[in-house]
Amino acid sequence: MSSDRLDSTNDDTGVARQRPIYSESQVIMTTVKAVIPFVLTYGLFITFHGTSSPGGGFQGGALIASVVLMIAFAFGIESTRKWLSNTLVVVLATLGVAIFAGIALVPMLLGANFLEYTAYYPLLGDALGLKRYEFVKYGMEAVEIGGIAFIVAGVLMGLFFALAAGMTPTSETNTVGDDVGTNASDNTSDADDATDGGDRP
Amino acid sequence: MTDFLGVVTTRHAYALFVLLSAIGLYMMIANENLVKKIIGLNMFQTGVFLFFVTSAYRIGGAAPVVVEGGSPYVSPLPQVIVLTAIVVGISLTAVGLALIIRLYSEYGTLRADALREVVGDE
Amino acid sequence: MSVATLSVTALLPLQSVGITPLEASLFVFVLITAVLTALFRDVLASIVVFAAYSLGLAVLYTFYRAPDVGLTEAAIGAGVTTVFLLLTIAKTTRPATDARFEAINWPAVGICGLFVLVVGVTLPAFPAVGDPASPILANADVTGYYLANAYDETGAENAVTAVLAAYRGFDTFGEAIVVFAAGIASLLVLGREVFTA
Repeated sequence: MSSDRLDSTNDDTGVARQRPIYSESQVIMTTVKAVIPFVLTYGLFITFHGTSSPGGGFQGGALIASVVLMIAFAFGIESTRKWLSNTLVVVLATLGVAIFAGIALVPMLLGANFLEYTAYYPLLGDALGLKRYEFVKYGMEAVEIGGIAFIVAGVLMGLFFALAAGMTPTSETNTVGDDVGTNASDNTSDADDATDGGDRP
Repeated sequence: MTDFLGVVTTRHAYALFVLLSAIGLYMMIANENLVKKIIGLNMFQTGVFLFFVTSAYRIGGAAPVVVEGGSPYVSPLPQVIVLTAIVVGISLTAVGLALIIRLYSEYGTLRADALREVVGDE
Repeated sequence: MSVATLSVTALLPLQSVGITPLEASLFVFVLITAVLTALFRDVLASIVVFAAYSLGLAVLYTFYRAPDVGLTEAAIGAGVTTVFLLLTIAKTTRPATDARFEAINWPAVGICGLFVLVVGVTLPAFPAVGDPASPILANADVTGYYLANAYDETGAENAVTAVLAAYRGFDTFGEAIVVFAAGIASLLVLGREVFTA
């Protein structure tokens, strides 16, 4: 088993640290390249059809976040981190909270209760051409898609990168955690990756 | 106690909930590795989720997607609470793991008993 | 003694309370993976078996007619939790192991046995699994109301989404804030200012 061990080096405090090695695995890269358009489409489908079939914002958001996770495993967490700017992750999460809070709190300003979708009818009924009871359905959709899915996707992506970067943001010289990618491919996204640990040096 | 087998076979999922929660509890108190304690916490949570989902189940029921003239449905309410709880559980796990990474970079160990000694000496 | 009725073909809906072979095999799978998660000494093996356990539970949830919960458990429990756990051991350490299984801590087993006894004593008080006369299902004011009126009042066929986003939207709002707070808390704990870079 020691040949599988991640290289450990002692840094200046004398504590053995793990230095993961990124091993480029053709199997993982090819599989991920083939599969992620479908996973992304499926995630969007689950989000958009949350009201008429099992699904909704939580599941769709998790699936969309897992697309970015798969890209990180296949192509390296460092390169994915450079490609996916911090702005996108933060904007996704905060926009989700803002949209949800906005849709929920504006009815209170209009004099109705919290999250009372029909309170929008006097305001937007003519502008959008919707009847009073239809506001509930579209309000729910907006909250599910623009609120919950955004928040869950953004925060899960952000947590992934935060955990992958760890405690010392400036001293990582090589790509971090990518040797984990060859282990993790068996476990993540259940049936998507058909690899068996990838190629280890 | 006389009808023990009958009770267990009709309330089987509740018995599974008790066993899973017990195993999760065991992992939380007995395993010394901090990551395994987090896994035990997750296992305990999933046991509780199983309890809620089972309480909603109805024999011959269908999933709570209401269509015209459908068969009787299972109750949707416990499923709602479980959905929320699963997402809150992953948030909890993520913050716990961040704490573990921080602890490791400070003390260099993941074992709870070693940490107790090191922190106790400070 | 009341005898458990076994359904001949396990995939047909059960007509009366009892345990089917499909359920029994799922239970056995879940229990075995749970016990192995507790007993493996290597933390990586523990994580892998835990992912299998999550998947088994997701199938069990779907069997209990909760597809939303099954989807969420599979995506978040089996997917994202495993990824986070693996990242943690990649960033910290995977301790070297000499034995395959942990040494069993008998006092802890005693405590867990006590827990099982105390909660198990309440088992006869539960309604049978799936019993249509149980208080949750027979209640017309709560369950019956939501099932009957979800489509008319919200336009959504999925009653779970209707309850989540319309009837009990306040809880969902709180949960969304909790998720957001977890993202911020993880940044705070790790002493970083940005998620990426």
